[in-house]
Amino acid sequence: MSKIRLHGTSSGYTEIAPVAASGNNTLTLPNDGTIISKDSNGAVGVTSVVTTTATITTAKVGAAVTISESGIEASGIGITCANINGAQIGGRRNIVINGAMQVAQRATSATGKNSTGYYCTDRFRLVDYNIGTFTLAQQTSAPTGFNKSLRLDCTTADTSIAAADYLSIDQAIEGFDLQQLDYGLSSAKTITISFYVKSTTTGTYTLEIYMNNGDYFNSKTYTISSANTWERKIITFVGNTSNGITNDNTRGLTCNFWLSNGSNFEGGTFSDGTWHNTTNRRVHSSQVNIASSTDNDWSITGVQLEVGSQATAFEQRSFNEEIVLCQRYYEKSYNHGDVPGTNTSNGSVMFLSNRNSGTPHTMLRYATRKRAAPTLVAYATGAADTTGMKNLDANTVYSNYIMNRNGEMGCTAYPDATPVIGQFIQFHYTADAEL
Amino acid sequence: MTYTYKHLKDIITGTTATDVILRKEDNACVPIDEKNKDYQEYLAWVAEGNTAEAAD
Repeated sequence: MSKIRLHGTSSGYTEIAPVAASGNNTLTLPNDGTIISKDSNGAVGVTSVVTTTATITTAKVGAAVTISESGIEASGIGITCANINGAQIGGRRNIVINGAMQVAQRATSATGKNSTGYYCTDRFRLVDYNIGTFTLAQQTSAPTGFNKSLRLDCTTADTSIAAADYLSIDQAIEGFDLQQLDYGLSSAKTITISFYVKSTTTGTYTLEIYMNNGDYFNSKTYTISSANTWERKIITFVGNTSNGITNDNTRGLTCNFWLSNGSNFEGGTFSDGTWHNTTNRRVHSSQVNIASSTDNDWSITGVQLEVGSQATAFEQRSFNEEIVLCQRYYEKSYNHGDVPGTNTSNGSVMFLSNRNSGTPHTMLRYATRKRAAPTLVAYATGAADTTGMKNLDANTVYSNYIMNRNGEMGCTAYPDATPVIGQFIQFHYTADAEL
Repeated sequence: MTYTYKHLKDIITGTTATDVILRKEDNACVPIDEKNKDYQEYLAWVAEGNTAEAAD
């Protein structure tokens, strides 16, 4: 039988006919109730459909929701779901601070650097033990959607790397900000690190995260495929179910971009996503030595560390939000664009000599609560690169000063001098509470 | 850079300050706070057998 025709009470009929098929096809109808009906407008209604695969050009749910190849449009209604990409839905996702390299309080360019320190864009540290010399710069070269990046430019090459030598750019994250990762528990979260990178030197690089509590490491590689071209890299790390992160203001997790290494850090079975505490498993044996030539440089921006196994779009924060986050670790009284030591009075602290007998003093209040009591340097106004405090009325610089009674929110500051009462004392300061 | 250190006199109290130490090379006031990285460096320097200068 090829067709079935059902004749009604008037002319015409409904025909059920199979499509051309070489195999068998089964149509099974339920045995109860109305299954398929057509209303007066010609719309076909089906009570229930269960299908393995359905190809639909456009699906409409009520008047508000349309699903098509272009996306999902939901007009004037809310969407409720537990998570997106297995992680938080929205809000603040990026645990890294200053990932877009917008903030550079210390300097926008620092030359001749060959030791570990914070020199350029906030929160990103050069970690250098005996490998080469570099210029760090906040540059405007950046991928679409960004306008700043951090560039590390080799100015003195080193091709004789000793076993214990190392070179990287890192950012340490405070333990307080990492408790959501559930490290040390069976529910430890996977994290994803994404970033944009560009280098003169193609090849294999190592990205490592390490826990400072007990020195536990986890490394993976990424490849720079095209020289001098911005490339986005996405790397996922499983959580550490065995070792927790202390809930305090010390280093919890460090994100470490290796750029060169001595033999002590390779030779064992490369970590490749496995947590371990063995030094010679930290870096891949093919790691590029960015210090191999003064022609080399390496740039990075758009650094994001988020919970979950998917990299979402970079979370753009306002400049002010970002600089306030940075100020927990470093602040200065100068304008953002003025390097500490600049000869300017803009933003300086100023107070009147206020003791009839003894040392005048003032109380500094920091812009935001510091991670810990900061290291303080006072700079005299009226001259460049001069530490101390300036007596404006006596036109004298007091090179000796004390800043103590120092806590997370402020300190006492005073010159080691006894100026005449009523004279103005002026100075700038830096407060460094970096990890 | 290798730093050296000196105790400071708290001029308000007239005694050696117990909450700060001077890092001489950059004239920085380092707080006596074990969570401050510069104080940690100072402690490492002391552990190597060095001693800070006395306050004036």
